[in-house]
Amino acid sequence: MNALSQLDADRVRGILGDDLIADVSSHGDVVFAVRRAGVRRVLRELRDDDTLRFDMLMDLSGVDRLRLRQQYERYEVIYELYSLWNGWRLRLRVPVPESDLRIDSIHDLWKAANWSEREVYDMFGIVFEGHPNLKRILCHHEFVGHPLRKDYDRTRGQWCATSESLHDELQHKHDEERRRAREAGANEPSEADIDERLLVNIGPSHPMSHGTLRVLVELEGETVIHAIPEIGYLHRGFEKSAEKSSWNNVMPYTDRLNYVSALSNNVAYVKAVEKLAGIEVPDRCKFIRVIINELSRIMDHCVCNAANIVDVGALTNFWYLFQVRENIYKVIEKLTGARLTNTYARVGGLARDLYPGFEDDVRNVLRDSMHYVHDVIKLVKKNRIFQERTVGVTPIRAEDAINYGWTGPCLRACGVPLDARKRDGYYFYDEFDFEVPVGENGDAFDRIFVRFEEIFESARIIEQALDKLPGGPVNTEHNQWVLPPKDEVYSDIEPLMNHFMLVMFGTPVPPGETYDSFEVPNGELGFYVVSDGTGTPYRVRVRPPCWYLYQAYPQMIEGSMIADMAAGLGGLNVVAGELDR
Amino acid sequence: MGFEPLLWVLPLAIVVPLVLLGAQKLLAPRRPSAEKGEPYECGVPALGSAHQRLPIKFYLVAVLFLLFDIEVVFLFPWSVAFSKLGWIGLTQMLLFLGFLEVALVYVWLKGALEWEE
Amino acid sequence: MGRVNRQLVSDEPFITTRVDTALDWARKNSLWPLPFGTACCAIEFMGVVSSQFDISRFGAEVVRFSPRQSDLLIVAGTVVYKMGPILRTIYDQMADPKWVISMGVCASSGGFYDDYCTMQGIDQIIPVDIYVPGCPPSPDLFLDGLVKLQKKIDDQRILQKA
Repeated sequence: MNALSQLDADRVRGILGDDLIADVSSHGDVVFAVRRAGVRRVLRELRDDDTLRFDMLMDLSGVDRLRLRQQYERYEVIYELYSLWNGWRLRLRVPVPESDLRIDSIHDLWKAANWSEREVYDMFGIVFEGHPNLKRILCHHEFVGHPLRKDYDRTRGQWCATSESLHDELQHKHDEERRRAREAGANEPSEADIDERLLVNIGPSHPMSHGTLRVLVELEGETVIHAIPEIGYLHRGFEKSAEKSSWNNVMPYTDRLNYVSALSNNVAYVKAVEKLAGIEVPDRCKFIRVIINELSRIMDHCVCNAANIVDVGALTNFWYLFQVRENIYKVIEKLTGARLTNTYARVGGLARDLYPGFEDDVRNVLRDSMHYVHDVIKLVKKNRIFQERTVGVTPIRAEDAINYGWTGPCLRACGVPLDARKRDGYYFYDEFDFEVPVGENGDAFDRIFVRFEEIFESARIIEQALDKLPGGPVNTEHNQWVLPPKDEVYSDIEPLMNHFMLVMFGTPVPPGETYDSFEVPNGELGFYVVSDGTGTPYRVRVRPPCWYLYQAYPQMIEGSMIADMAAGLGGLNVVAGELDR
Repeated sequence: MGFEPLLWVLPLAIVVPLVLLGAQKLLAPRRPSAEKGEPYECGVPALGSAHQRLPIKFYLVAVLFLLFDIEVVFLFPWSVAFSKLGWIGLTQMLLFLGFLEVALVYVWLKGALEWEE
Repeated sequence: MGRVNRQLVSDEPFITTRVDTALDWARKNSLWPLPFGTACCAIEFMGVVSSQFDISRFGAEVVRFSPRQSDLLIVAGTVVYKMGPILRTIYDQMADPKWVISMGVCASSGGFYDDYCTMQGIDQIIPVDIYVPGCPPSPDLFLDGLVKLQKKIDDQRILQKA
């Protein structure tokens, strides 16, 4: 939040008019409760207003307030808006009564809303009127019930016997195509034309699919005419599991969101909880969090680029870039005890302080491993074949990217210099000297090279952070949050009781809700956390960056060839753990 | 002259496949099932039939490949006997390649090597 | 599959034992994995095939994503109910002989995801030969599992229809 220009809440109130129920701002956020009937009008005016310009829909989610102090209705749909030009955030809470679970869809205002509304329907059962394709998106098509409702038993699993054929969505696409041809005055594709096209399922088990992504493509020769993605093949119930754990016990689940950059997810989560609980962490903790976030960024970009370049066909680079990751793993394993899923951050600080020799290890790793990245760049950047495969391939315009809710290196590759580290300046990022690499065309080449440049910038930040690293404690002095030292736990009764209460029941966070975001390697990872005053979270909503990135994929590849699908998908860094949660 | 290697290669070419196939018949497990025979479509039941008309562009690419591939095949015996054929052999081969290169340039300029129109 | 025979004087015919040993040796040293990678364990599997841990020393370097071309199904990562039919189909389409390694605790028993969408172990739908614990298992632990699978293959009696 820029201190120079604060959001003009009165202007927002003016737009809301009679649809405003109440001002429910808290924790430094500007939040309004809005009537359901006026939601479309309000959101359109907020987006189109010349001063406010809330052009980005950061998140659309739902909350079941059954066990909270009932404020308005049982359900609420939360709209998290962001103004790219001003850096302002605004949240709208729209109550939806249990007796009439309907609300207007806003998929035509922001394309980002399309899948998010499907998810709210899947998880809560709220029907979005006017949505073109309101089906389940994360749970399988044979699922009965809505899992994030408070009355759905968490452990009640439901088997799925068949996979969905997606023919209904294909039919929509054909109808769309006919309609567009009619409007353009061109010939409509006949049944014979459509029959000649080849339907290929590039399914969940495919090397290109980066895990569990499924795309049904309709091909004419090598050209993709229609692409229908299906996700949810790694939906593991993060948000429901978080509702049974204590605030710190959610940490291992956050590791497994974007599992290639687990440390960043840990920090993003505790940052949100600390904002909700009003905890301030010591400076040393902030610097360490910056260092591990940047190390995580280097690791994530290495894997993303390695996979992307392998998909294009250059295998050697995968081994080189993976070695960078292995070298950093050695340091991380010494620090946190694990290579991949670290669970290092805690609410109020970190699990443990740095080990002696950490600084030298990190400096050595950075010095010795950067040559792998330089080698890979030398191998691919001027290579004619690589350029043919990635330059101009699956481009996206900045306006579309913003409408889809893109953040992170993919948005920067389109030319939009949005980086939360520079914009918000948390954790002393405003004191570091680093640049934000920005691309031009938003094509696959730009996405790869923005990430390479970010690796070098991260190395610079780490060097500076290590130079400036202050001494002092690493955990906050609120002893409600921090586990007492183990030698005291084993010798005195009071620390033992304290330890017992903290581990068994968790530390209570005052009731309230907030949204906080953090620039993880993939973009803006946001957490919308709701507390009911106990040591267990009431609701932890993840705003996954790659959810919004992957939504744009069909638009990017329709009209390109199959080979371009691979080059385009790799650059989005769609990690299913974060996409499906 | 020098056809004895053929007398070695031909029996080998017959015996080796027979041995491999025979060993497989004797030793390999054989458990066919309906699911096993289904076409692979990344784990999802196969959609539609593969017996349909394919775009003509694939045929064009295949035919061009065939032509230039046969050209390369002719290079092999020439390169083995290269030293014995001398300058005359080199000139003949260059003429042969030259004719085919004219064909390649024609195809290139006509745009047949571009996938999209 | 027969039982391990540790007698000094074997009562099995000499020729078939030798053929069995040769076949088992050939099969165990040329496993072609099908990495059915879904989640974090797939990243550690990438570490296994990378230069640091190098699965190719065990002969299993050739990863093939087609069930027709592979004989070792490595399920690396959580399998959710939605993925069940896919996994079952892939397993069914693999040609015999085939083995399954369940990599990680999520594939072995659901891990710490005890909820409405996660299958509590892939052995509910396909037979598993080796369970490798860990969240995720480090690459050397996975290679230990692979070696155990090789020992298990060694014990297979192909010609003796036991």
